[in-house]
Amino acid sequence: MSAANLPQPAASDSVRMIRLMGSVSLICGLLIVGTHIGTMEPIRRNQEFITKETVSALLPGVDKQAVYSLVNGDLQPGAQPNVPVLYAGFDKQGALIGVVIETSERGYADTIKAMYAYSPDLQAITGFQVMELKETPGLGDKITKDPAFLDNFKKLDVTAGPDGKPAHPVVTVKHGTKKNPWEVDAISGATISSRAVGRMLAKSTATMLPLVRKNLDRIRKGN
Amino acid sequence: MPKLTAEIQLRTSPHLHTPRSVEMIMRHVVYAMLPLCAFGIYVFGISVVALLAVAVAACLATEHLCCHLAGRASSINDWSAVITGILLALTLPPGFPLWMTAVGGFVSIALGKMLFGGLGMNVFNPALVGRAFLQASFPVAITGYTPALSASRFTEFIPTTLTFPFLQPPSLTAWITAARVDSFAGATALMQQKFDRVTVELLPLFLGYESGSAGETSAILILLCGAYLAARKFLDWRIPVAMLGSAALAGQAFHLLNPAVYPNGAFVLGSGGLMLGAVFMATDMVSSPTTPLGVWIYGALMGLITVIIRFLGGLPEGVMYSILLGNAVAPLIDNITQPAIYGARKKAKVTA
Amino acid sequence: MPHDHGQPAPSPAENMEAFLDGLWKQNPVFVQVLGTCPTLAITNSVSNAVAMGLATLFVLVCSNALVSAVRKLVPKQVRIATYILIIATFVTIVDYLIKAISVAVYKALGPFIALIVVNCIILGRAEAYASKNPVGKSILDGLGMGIGFFIALFSLGSVREILGAGTFLGFPLFGPNYQPWVLFLLPPGGFFTLAIWLMVFAAWKDRKKRREVKTMAEAA
Repeated sequence: MSAANLPQPAASDSVRMIRLMGSVSLICGLLIVGTHIGTMEPIRRNQEFITKETVSALLPGVDKQAVYSLVNGDLQPGAQPNVPVLYAGFDKQGALIGVVIETSERGYADTIKAMYAYSPDLQAITGFQVMELKETPGLGDKITKDPAFLDNFKKLDVTAGPDGKPAHPVVTVKHGTKKNPWEVDAISGATISSRAVGRMLAKSTATMLPLVRKNLDRIRKGN
Repeated sequence: MPKLTAEIQLRTSPHLHTPRSVEMIMRHVVYAMLPLCAFGIYVFGISVVALLAVAVAACLATEHLCCHLAGRASSINDWSAVITGILLALTLPPGFPLWMTAVGGFVSIALGKMLFGGLGMNVFNPALVGRAFLQASFPVAITGYTPALSASRFTEFIPTTLTFPFLQPPSLTAWITAARVDSFAGATALMQQKFDRVTVELLPLFLGYESGSAGETSAILILLCGAYLAARKFLDWRIPVAMLGSAALAGQAFHLLNPAVYPNGAFVLGSGGLMLGAVFMATDMVSSPTTPLGVWIYGALMGLITVIIRFLGGLPEGVMYSILLGNAVAPLIDNITQPAIYGARKKAKVTA
Repeated sequence: MPHDHGQPAPSPAENMEAFLDGLWKQNPVFVQVLGTCPTLAITNSVSNAVAMGLATLFVLVCSNALVSAVRKLVPKQVRIATYILIIATFVTIVDYLIKAISVAVYKALGPFIALIVVNCIILGRAEAYASKNPVGKSILDGLGMGIGFFIALFSLGSVREILGAGTFLGFPLFGPNYQPWVLFLLPPGGFFTLAIWLMVFAAWKDRKKRREVKTMAEAA
């Protein structure tokens, strides 16, 4: 069957079609733009609120926050898309409490995204919070809430070695065998997810902490 | 329409008179599994007795119920449900809660077999369908392994066995500490190898005095029982040979590439459910291919997938999924390995 | 089951039928088995199912109304393109609205909000109903189908959350020792639950048909 057999719309039909599509598009466009403008403010507030909440939960006592992006191995103020972002938290007197760094790693099912707090004064990880995960419910997702597991990150040692990276990389060990301050005690029955957390911290601290240390004076001043 | 009576049987040729019937083959497979059951009971105690009894009873009851619902004669007398029950029990940890075992038996038969139309129609090995369901539903309970040869195994049940239906099994840690035989850490040889890079000694592994599922521990005993069935031609010896061979070769290749991380081929053969799977599950007549070449491909594919899942995947054991995948592609393998019909020639390519 | 395509002289009884058809007799999921992608993917908890059901209901009603309003103006050749344009508009609006209401819900629904646009129920109703019926009846049809879809998602979500987590809308039902059937929260659980519901519906319909045949035989 060829196109010639189909009824061909006359020229006036084409004009009618274009006019109709044009007006429907106009109505639809107006509807979308209207909604976009109307919801812009609440959406921005929502997203900011979530990050702010997480940063304050990870750095207790935080009063003011500053955002930095990692661009070509250098820290730049302000959040930029598609690059690692870190947040600095200051207390009421303006002194730096710590920085919060985003990280991710492949877990048992899909990527786990998380944030952790690093204190330059203690040279330790002082908090850890999972932002997104698809781990098995009731098993792998214990890494978000298991209190004993989260206790690992109250003061996890990442003291710098000679090259600026942690002297002892963070490592997950079998449940109940934690001996050193840089080890993470795995959740029994959720070894794979626990290990993913250890790996993501080891990787992220190896690249981010030297940078943070290099720029520490700048961050402390807040610019 | 007059009802057909049993006296007239319409069959296609060849009209061979053979004493072999489905019922007889199935019965012999059950006989061949009895030594494994006995050994499982010897190593893990009375919990395995209960496990086997519940699994078989659940399978038989489900088969009877499904036949009743479908309005046809009950097929529980052909022994195939008994095989499914025993196989399911042998792949579970010895202290697996009995109510979960019953759920597994129900799913095996109802979902894995009867929904497809009963014996001979199932796409997948029914016992493995049940086990896959259990693994996805109760991932914690199904990794609750207990030590082998504990002193009190003939006088008391493992505490998780008698869990009240629909409730969580209790923690095993305290019980294992009390019953401890050696430095058992609640892990099978495979788990220790994968997560802690500790390779256990090979001899106990092959003899079967190791922690693991109820019936998959003794590689040597499984091989002997399999050899009996193969000698009587109740199973196709090519499938286990191909599967074990390819698994050992692939494992050894990985080992040579990086001996620190990957165990050698012998460990691959002796650990986990590979032997049991290769001998008793992959050889399921319904869900495996029928052509001689197809059978080799099928076995080799499953062995390779097992090693890939074990070494590169997230799980410590991959036999179950590799056999299920093998079952899924079996019709395809059959299709591409059809022998040429005698006298027929391949069609020459039509050129325009 | 034939639809009353057509003559725009709706009586209240006809309106009622347009509404009730989608709810039960022509339920988009349980009877027509349409839109199974969101049905399987987004029903792992009651709250997700409710959010998805409401979003689809909104899009269905709005697009039915607008499609019906322009039905006499749209030339045959570009009708599908016009319908998709209208549907996509309302999906985008829903996307913004959900993001503004709750980021948590937005994250849980993920790409499936955008995929409402290809949910065949919506284009199906636009083509089969809204393009042939007046605005009022089309809105009623959209409401009926949308609520029917909502009911289906809600039934699946309830079964999956109760079995898979032992909770309903987050409230624990069976105490702390209940063993959750994790499978029902995972994708295969979606298939199993949908299959169980379809089986229940098939059995119910089968029974009804048999009873009708019996009464007819008795009458004759």
